[in-house]
Amino acid sequence: MNLSPHRLSRTDWTHIAFLALPTLLFVTFYVYPVISSIHLSLHDWNGFAPKMRFVGLQNYQVLIGQPRFLHAALNNIIWVAFMLIVPTGLGLLLAAILDRGIRGEQVFRIIFFLPFTIPAVAVGAIWRWMYEPDNGLITTVLKLLGLGSFAQNWLGDPNVVNLSLMGSVAWWTTGFAFLVFFAGLRNIPTECIEAARIEGATPWQVFWKVSFPLLWPSTIIVLGMSAIDAMRLFDVVWAMTKGGPAYSSEVLAVQMYDLAFGRFDMGRAAAVAVYLFIIAGVIIMPYIIYMSRRVQDSEAD
Amino acid sequence: MSSSIEQRQTILTRTVLIGMSIVFVTPLIVAFLTSFKSPAEITRVMTLPTQIYWENYAIAFGRAGRTFLNSLLITAPAVVLSLLIGAVAGYPLAYMRGTGGKLVYFILLTGMLVPFQIVQIPLFFLVQRLGLYDTIPGMWLVHTAYAVPFCTFFMRNFFASVPRSMYEAALIDGCGPATYFWKLLLPASGSGLAALAIIQSRAIWNDLLFAITLTTSDNARPATVAIAGFASSLQVEYGPLMASTIVSVLPVMAAYLLFQKSFVRGLLGGAGK
Repeated sequence: MNLSPHRLSRTDWTHIAFLALPTLLFVTFYVYPVISSIHLSLHDWNGFAPKMRFVGLQNYQVLIGQPRFLHAALNNIIWVAFMLIVPTGLGLLLAAILDRGIRGEQVFRIIFFLPFTIPAVAVGAIWRWMYEPDNGLITTVLKLLGLGSFAQNWLGDPNVVNLSLMGSVAWWTTGFAFLVFFAGLRNIPTECIEAARIEGATPWQVFWKVSFPLLWPSTIIVLGMSAIDAMRLFDVVWAMTKGGPAYSSEVLAVQMYDLAFGRFDMGRAAAVAVYLFIIAGVIIMPYIIYMSRRVQDSEAD
Repeated sequence: MSSSIEQRQTILTRTVLIGMSIVFVTPLIVAFLTSFKSPAEITRVMTLPTQIYWENYAIAFGRAGRTFLNSLLITAPAVVLSLLIGAVAGYPLAYMRGTGGKLVYFILLTGMLVPFQIVQIPLFFLVQRLGLYDTIPGMWLVHTAYAVPFCTFFMRNFFASVPRSMYEAALIDGCGPATYFWKLLLPASGSGLAALAIIQSRAIWNDLLFAITLTTSDNARPATVAIAGFASSLQVEYGPLMASTIVSVLPVMAAYLLFQKSFVRGLLGGAGK
């Protein structure tokens, strides 16, 4: 670049003008609140008192020694692993099956995608009813099959509640993975597949040796989005259990909301948020770097 | 490969597909049927309602009617504003050469990894100070601001797929870069904007976190907050709850079904056929 900053062209000025408002919004609603949260996390404050009391890193130290906090953080990590594996794997399986040219493809595609379109709170409402311990569909079906002894207090038992929540989230998000993979498979040139088939490859080999590597762009989108969603997870848990029973299904976002707006312990809540931010950063930053690189690569072509 | 193996495979894949379809569609059907059942019938989950019981919908609208209107009043303008901001930011970032543009793009992208929890408390106080707490315009502003990273990412990639020759030709013809954007590029970007509109409608209509933090009364409270309240109360009345759920689900579901094709195309960043 040999453009000196003093000699900006009219085009440059237009570009800067276009970027002004988005940048202002970004600074006001991302940069300022993040800094403000970090500042707040070093204080003891109930949200009303005119003065905040500086406590240094005390909030962070207290949290790291609290079983409740560690349990919620562990839940978040389990959620990330779950979201990366289960909805992604199921979506890939369904897409691969449907891509083989099956009658009624259109109908299946709509069915698999429908749950993804509904609000998280609707997922919560519907699945609270499905998991209702006495008359819910799952218990009813188990009883009909003579498996009544397997019925659980799906959302009321601390040992079962997380699995129940994950079941409903898999139902909700698999459609997204499915659709991205399906669109990705449709974008693979048929010549590649045909060539492999002529060479005598089985459908299984064709999929893993040809299709799957070419699906990499789709895989990246699905994995990135899943990880981000798992870190931010709030709505489904809030609508179904509010983190209960006895904090067993709590994730950091729910704990932070409870501390801030339920107990008005703003400093402690901000420290939970900062921890979440750090964990999310470690997990997701490589993804963001990869994405912005990939765009630059495609420009170079 | 012998045809009997192939046949067995076809049967296997059919079984998997049909089995999964039943799993996917059953909760929606159960919710739909439950919304038409009277309290006496509601515990018989496997049966059809003997008669259509509209009372559940009447109760749902009585309790949450205003919140459905709020959802609509929040979502429609906020979607338009977020598309506009994404396009305005994406345009220069798609055409700028050099490190400045790349740096701005990278910084905006990092917004996508920020868990909203870290902005939640300061945002609560910021919106109050702006006098926008519990107002619908406040929700427009917040949804537009938090759409900046994703919408910029999306529109930048879309614009980058538009042939650059179109831009250069317009500039040679004496068209300024701003005129090019408003008069030529934006009108030609219908498919990208449509796909983004669907994604944003879903994100904003379905939002709970910002709504629960920044609204408190029927003044601005959207349906998601009302439903979350019903669903997590101790004594849940499933009839009215399912009725309000069905109403909340329909708009976005209908939008996706209608614009499925452009959504898939837009998702692939214009790389598709």
